[in-house]
Amino acid sequence: MSSMVPYILYVLFASGGAAIYLAMPKPSGSQRQAALILGVSVIAGLMGLMSMHFVAPNSNNLFFYLFAGVAVLAAGRVVTHPEPTYSAVYFALVILSVAVLLVIQRAEFLAVALIIIYAGAILVTYAFVIMLAQQSGAVATNTQAREPMMAILVSFVIAGAIAGKIEQLDAVPVRLQGQAVTQATDVADTVATLDENDSRSGHTRAIGSLMFGPYLIVVELSGILLLIAMVGAIAISRKQVPIEDTGEPRLPVGQIGREAPPF
Amino acid sequence: MPEPSSYILLGAVLFAIGMVGFLARRNLIVMFLSTEIMFQGVVLNVVAFGRMHGQLSGNVYGLFMLVIAAVEAGLALGLVVLLYRRKNTLDAESWSAMSG
Repeated sequence: MSSMVPYILYVLFASGGAAIYLAMPKPSGSQRQAALILGVSVIAGLMGLMSMHFVAPNSNNLFFYLFAGVAVLAAGRVVTHPEPTYSAVYFALVILSVAVLLVIQRAEFLAVALIIIYAGAILVTYAFVIMLAQQSGAVATNTQAREPMMAILVSFVIAGAIAGKIEQLDAVPVRLQGQAVTQATDVADTVATLDENDSRSGHTRAIGSLMFGPYLIVVELSGILLLIAMVGAIAISRKQVPIEDTGEPRLPVGQIGREAPPF
Repeated sequence: MPEPSSYILLGAVLFAIGMVGFLARRNLIVMFLSTEIMFQGVVLNVVAFGRMHGQLSGNVYGLFMLVIAAVEAGLALGLVVLLYRRKNTLDAESWSAMSG
């Protein structure tokens, strides 16, 4: 029975790919109703499979199913909606669902950082660019997908390859209950281990001591990377303003501003 | 708490959906939104792997991935604005001259 799981997953992925194909914007109009029904049933099948094989039956897992479903549905809508503005709004929904899933995994700090950085900064940048580069009406850019069949095939084959290895992953001994990490890793520290039974709020202090301890150089490199990206973005998107010829003779360098004309 | 393998499955699905969007859509903005969805799938995976080994390194990797996502968004959107100014369209197909 358990060896059937990858094949069930392959079937589910194929159906999910068909649902995305149906929902893709096409000049002839997309079959949104059929895509929605197929997509929801695929997600329900995925959840059922997870509840049988991967997730221990527990009433707390209701939130996992709920927000995993919302995340997948909203992600499907992001890539299939013909209007970029709505895609951005659905992307916010993906962010919020993923943040909830991170909270369920006891990664509260990362969840809050995700909401602040993505929903607060990155999404606003996208909104600005959508406003800056707005195309009016239904244009072929938005209403016609480019080789959707090939794209779906490639993507879901990769997802299927990952899913085929899920069974082997479960064979790895999982140390969930805060047991000491015996295998030496270069960053393994007593403070860095995750204690699932720790009821205190979050692991923010431990994350901080990890980031400013073993990962300090990476933090510094991230700062440098952000600086380089800022310089690059300014250099790329700077508009070349043509210098207007006012007819007046230009002062030589060093004389500009020396003699301001009186009012 | 669900097993890490369920998060890895979910991350694979999100990654696949984002990849479909990147390959199939023609609007440059939607293409880069799709890469952000792929980032979400990988963040979920990284955190789940960290939890599987009882470590917090997964969270730290997730934070660094947020940095990469911010860098990518900044540069990519600068490029989008530049390309839109050149051809007055967001269509990625209009830049296919180099594909031969």
